[in-house]
Order: sequence, then structure tokens, then C-alpha cells
Amino acid sequence: MIKTLKKYFLLYLAMFKASFIADLEYRANFFSRILTDVFWYIAQIITFEVLYQHTEKIGDWNVKEMRVFLGLLFVIDAFYMIIIHENLENITEKVRKGDLDLLLAKPVNSQFMLTLQKANTAIFGNLLLGSSWLIYSLMGLEGFNYARLLWLIILFPCSLIVIYSMRFMFSASAVIFTRSENLQFLWWQVYRLGMRPDSMYTPYVKYVLLTLIPVGVIVSIPARALLNPPNLTYLLWPLILVPLLLYGTHRFWNFALKFYSSASS
Amino acid sequence: MLTTGIEILLWVAVFKGAKSATIAGFSEANYLSYALWSAFFARIATSWMYEFKMVEEVSSGSINSIIVRPMSFYEYYLSQLMGYKVVTTFISLIIPIAAVFIFDLPTDLSRLPLATLLCFYYLFLVHTISFIISTMAFHFTKISSLTVAKNLFMWILMGELFPLDLLPEPYKTWVISLPFASGTFTPVAYITGRIGLQTVIEGFMSVTIGLVVLNLIGAYLWRRGLNTYVGTGA
Repeated sequence: MIKTLKKYFLLYLAMFKASFIADLEYRANFFSRILTDVFWYIAQIITFEVLYQHTEKIGDWNVKEMRVFLGLLFVIDAFYMIIIHENLENITEKVRKGDLDLLLAKPVNSQFMLTLQKANTAIFGNLLLGSSWLIYSLMGLEGFNYARLLWLIILFPCSLIVIYSMRFMFSASAVIFTRSENLQFLWWQVYRLGMRPDSMYTPYVKYVLLTLIPVGVIVSIPARALLNPPNLTYLLWPLILVPLLLYGTHRFWNFALKFYSSASS
Repeated sequence: MLTTGIEILLWVAVFKGAKSATIAGFSEANYLSYALWSAFFARIATSWMYEFKMVEEVSSGSINSIIVRPMSFYEYYLSQLMGYKVVTTFISLIIPIAAVFIFDLPTDLSRLPLATLLCFYYLFLVHTISFIISTMAFHFTKISSLTVAKNLFMWILMGELFPLDLLPEPYKTWVISLPFASGTFTPVAYITGRIGLQTVIEGFMSVTIGLVVLNLIGAYLWRRGLNTYVGTGA
């Protein structure tokens, strides 16, 4: 078991290094990727800063608390973009061009390869910016208990796995349908639901977003862990959800592969 | 529809927190109408697919087949973009119009033709910017994220996120004076009664100035790009 884990860890390190070298090759693209996310951050920040000029609270939170929510969103999104995004974004292309055959033929788990083959190292700049915004927003909270940050050790990986699992299901559907661009677009719309605090939604919608389509878990639960008094039922829910989702992706991938007919053969 | 739904939920939450019947002089129904129409106009005023295609044509070398046609690269893709937008606009127009009647949202439909015309005029500017971006592909191998960055920048300034007149002064005046406001804010604010005809006319003027300036830049960059171009895809 440990030997296998070590093998996969070393493999990931090698792929990460190769990705970094490849990213540096296209320097203009490297820097414009950072610029892209800076605009996205600005858009999110300006939206809420302007709205809070006209209201005291949105959902349960005031402007200072919303800044923390946005900080967490930026950091979680940056990790997702670095580690996973590009791989899952390209599944449709891999299926169509027959590149998936190459991955399936390798002596490693195909889901692992498909998920982690390429790291997007250009996003490290964004991670730095997002983290800076999070620190700035936390410093703006009066009497914030910094010990609450320890929750993030558990909740950050949970958030990443939730995004991964959901995105993976959308992307892997490309194996079944071959062309699934519209489903990928739908994913972005679903993900956007999680980019807003759960308290903004009606109780029924909120329930759905925390359970059936759990995008509400991604940022709202870590934000609540930092901002509100601890509610263990709420905070431990991701720990139950994550193994279920991971198992679900594994089963779904095996199911999807039954439909794969190899484009290159 | 999901995008509009999210924005509508946001405005409902904002009004709940504001504990006031109006924000900046407009009711909740007015903001819901703005959210509905801004999603519709923002889709018209954005060009992702054709810009990616234009960049791809230049960087892959398949532009060779377009250069020899009796139509410029700019005109070739402009005709495709406009054709696509006209068809999709008229089909998708059914959804916001139906929503206006079903939910009784404040919208002056008699203003819709002029608002749509402004948005389509703005599309010329969008296409010119796409043309400029595609000329970058003469010099750089991979510039897809430049398209994303540019579209995000324009997204902020167009007014899809929130009505631009909610910005504090002097930012409000600056941003509304820019041609980007003509993509979403000006047409939507016009049909939802936030602004009058004068601002729409100013929008047309602003886009015209933008078109002149950007077309000059585009023509220069195109000539410069062609001088350095070697037909690798031939």
C-alpha cells in the first residue's frame, strides 16, 4: 500500500515538474492567465462592494464577512485550477482525438492520470493574490479567533474533493456522449451557485445545494467555520460527503468506460 | 436561465438585507427585470467562439485560405458573427419577453428595438477587439487566455454584474461614458426605465469613437502581423 502511494506521489511530482516547464514555454499565456484571474477577482469583489453600499447584509453576512467568503473562494478556486481544472477541461478533447487510449494503456490508474496529469502552475500567482485577500479580510474582522483557521486543514481538502468529484462526473460524461460541451457549460453554471453564500438561498434551495448538488459545501461551509460559532453537524457533513463522492466518481468512471469505443482504432 | 436565476436570488437577498423598498430609487421588480435582461444582452454582446476561431486561424496557418478570398479576414468573420448573433438573438428573445409577461416585470418593450440596435452596433466594436487579439497570434504561439482576460475585463465594464449607476461618483460617470456600457448597461437600463434616450445616443457616439480608434489600431497591427507572417499551414 505504502509502496503504491509512494509510486503515485513520485509520478505526480514528475508530472508537476513537466507541467511547470511546459507552462514557462508560453510566457505570454503564462502571464495572461494570471491577469485573467485578477479580473475575475476584481469582478467578484466590486460586485459585492457595490451591493454593500446599498444594503447592510446579504444572507447572514455583512461586508467584512463577505470579504472572508470571497477570500476563501479565491484560494479554493486557485488550488482547484492548479491541480485539477485543466485535466478535466480536456477530457472531451481526449475522448474525441483518441488520446484517452494512451492513458488507458498505461500501467497506472486511468482516473488518476486523467485527473492529475497536467498541473497549471501559472495559477500560483493567483493563489498568492487570493491568499493575500483572505489574510487582509481576516485582519478586518474584529475579535476574530485565529484558532478557527485550523478547521481549514480539514475543510480545504474536502472542498477540493467536492469540486473535483462534481466536475469529474460532468467531464467523464464525455466518454458516454462523446460531445458534451453543453454539459461542461452547465457545470460552470452549477459551480456559480456555490460561489455565492448559502444563506442567500431559500431553505429548500440551500438544502439541495448542501446535499444533492453539494456545491454549497465548497466555500460556504469553510466560511461558516471561520465566521460563525461552530456547528458540528454542519462542519462534519463534508467528512461524510467526501468518501461518498469519491466512491461515486470511481464507480461512474468505470461505468462510463463501458461506453468507450476508442476513437483512434 | 440558471445564470439569471442566480442573479435574481442575489437581488432578492440584497433587498431582504436592505430592509428598504427601493435601492437608488428603483424597486425590487426593477432590479429583477435588470437581472433578466442583462443576462440576455450580455450573451449577445460577447464573442467567445468566433474570437477563438480567429486566433486559431492565425496561429495554425489556416488563415492562408481566407487571405486569398475576395473578402478580408475582418469582414469574413464579421459576417459569420453577425449572422449567428441575429439568429440566436431572435430565437432567445422569446424567453425574457415571456418572463416579463409571466412575472409582470417593469419593461418598456417599445424601447427594445433601439436597445437591441445599440447592442448590435456594440458588436462591431467587440469584433474589432477580437480582430486585434487575433493579430497577436502572429507574434505569440498561445494566446487563448488573452481572450478570456479581455472578456472578463469587458464583463466588469458592461454592467451585467450590477447596474453601473450603482457605482459611486466619479466612477459611475467614467464607466458609463466608456463604450463597453453600450453592450449591456445602456440597452438594459433603457428598456427598464433607468435612463433616457440621451444616454442611448451618447452610447452610440461612444461606440463610434471606439470603433474609429480600434479599427485604426487593428489595421496597423494586421499589416505588421502580415509582414512577419509565414504561411506555416500552407
